[in-house]
Amino acid sequence: MALTILLIDTDAERARALEEKLSQSGFARVVRAVDTDLAAAVEAARPDLVIIDMALPDRDALEDIRTVSAASPVVMFAGTDDPAFAQEAIAAGVCSYNLSGVALQDVRPILASAIALFQRYRHVEIELAAAKALLNERRLIERAKALLMKNRKMSEPEAYRWLQKKAMNESRKLAEVVADFVAGEENAQRETKA
Amino acid sequence: MSEVVSLKQPRSGPRLRIGFLRLTDSAPAIVAQEFGYFAEEGVDADLFEEPSWANIADKLAYGFLDAAVIVPPLAFAIELGLRGVSQKLVIPCNVSMGGNTITLSRALARQVCDSAHDNGLSTAQALAACLKTRDQPLPLGVVHAYSTHNLLLRYWLATAGLEAGRDVRLSVVPPARAVEALQSGAIAGFCAGAPWGEIAVRAGAGLNVAASDDIWRAAPEKAFAVRASWAEENPEGVKGAVRALVRAAQFCDAPENASYTGSLLSRQKYLGVDSHAILSSLPGGAIAPDNQSWFWRGAATFPWRSHALWFLRQMTRWDLIGAVDRDALAARVYRPDLYRAAVAPLGISVPLADGKNEGAHSMPWRLEAAPSPIAMEPDSFCDGAVFEVSPAPASF
Repeated sequence: MALTILLIDTDAERARALEEKLSQSGFARVVRAVDTDLAAAVEAARPDLVIIDMALPDRDALEDIRTVSAASPVVMFAGTDDPAFAQEAIAAGVCSYNLSGVALQDVRPILASAIALFQRYRHVEIELAAAKALLNERRLIERAKALLMKNRKMSEPEAYRWLQKKAMNESRKLAEVVADFVAGEENAQRETKA
Repeated sequence: MSEVVSLKQPRSGPRLRIGFLRLTDSAPAIVAQEFGYFAEEGVDADLFEEPSWANIADKLAYGFLDAAVIVPPLAFAIELGLRGVSQKLVIPCNVSMGGNTITLSRALARQVCDSAHDNGLSTAQALAACLKTRDQPLPLGVVHAYSTHNLLLRYWLATAGLEAGRDVRLSVVPPARAVEALQSGAIAGFCAGAPWGEIAVRAGAGLNVAASDDIWRAAPEKAFAVRASWAEENPEGVKGAVRALVRAAQFCDAPENASYTGSLLSRQKYLGVDSHAILSSLPGGAIAPDNQSWFWRGAATFPWRSHALWFLRQMTRWDLIGAVDRDALAARVYRPDLYRAAVAPLGISVPLADGKNEGAHSMPWRLEAAPSPIAMEPDSFCDGAVFEVSPAPASF
């Protein structure tokens, strides 16, 4: 028997990927809902399980919805002794609610799929953020070197060594020293102009 | 403006992960972090903005957070395992007072205010009069079932004989969704913490008809809850965190700091909303000070056992908790002894008793405290009730 799952996720691509994965398994019928009246969505879909992105504020509303089969949705693994699985889900940023009292062994593979998918998307986000930070760091180093070359008549290698030495003396990261240096120089320039 | 001056000290002390929501009264935690108070008091604090109370509860329960700025009824619900896995918590200090609004759609608010004015009724009575002609319960939103808002709104409605279920239909609406829900007509009003009432007013969606003060003139709002196991493992850390929050509360309560605090809170990583909407709920920031959060004056940071007992009494009244030993639970969670031990080095006055009769003062009064008495705010309820607590010896 296929379980009905209400999926609440604002990341359309991730939601589509999860829907595809779960539907293929044949064990689940997925209904997606976003930015709608959750009570109405629950009423219409009568889901056995709700899977929700933890970044959304709607969890509080969802927990208060009374359903026909359950007094109120039961948050992931309440009353069971599987904290590790719940922790994995929270770390991935996904939460689920059991609305019809389905046995844990039946929902476990579904939740495992959701957790894996959220983890994958989270890794992509983290990698993207790291790449952006690296680019920004490079840009700032170039800017700092240019300032040193212009204002203090250093050569490029001298300027780089100067920054490295400053970071070492202050026992701070090169990126932080460079960011502070550029901000300081630019402030000084603004003040001179004003 | 770039941050040239960094007040951050090298990290040391136990790591304390603190969850908060996008609300005005997260201010002391944010100020304590930004000004380096936590670091100065020997706590390596990290702040986590959470989108829901459910996240706060789960992350405390599963050890992703060590502490949170929380609505006290939810702390009791977590302690009792009412909405998921249970986690033992302690509250060593209170964080804020007041700051909630009851906000109604513009049309209903006008009707209620006109009726109150023309017929000499209280706002709650006027609302009851307006509801007589309706055949459907009025849909109102609160931020969480285990929130101060749910308890205060029900208390206020009850003073006019209005009952949830029969006259109004209460549902949970996250504050960030409240403006939209008001505009679409999904709800006719809501009760939420600042700045969300003001945001609804500014969006033209609603009007504030009452505030915390109109229900209970010294209503405790957010508290600082710490996982009991963290508190046991880090006794000095708890004291340091309390001192940092108390110092920040003093800063946040000074009227001259309002605009600074407002713009700090408005940053994207904190509340991410219009700083003027936040300002109107800060001490010294309001044009008409009818809905302020306050943080320090009137022993606002003290974790009163009588506050805990009032919350538990109201939770029982509305069937939110079953039969529990309320005195034992209040004593386990609310910890004035930890507060006293923490603030001793600051030399500030601390109340001599752990509880007081709530609602007994309609005028400013003086509280017995050491080394010197504390000037207190009026604390009366809108229905004139007095919530008496049996005098228990203070815990040190």
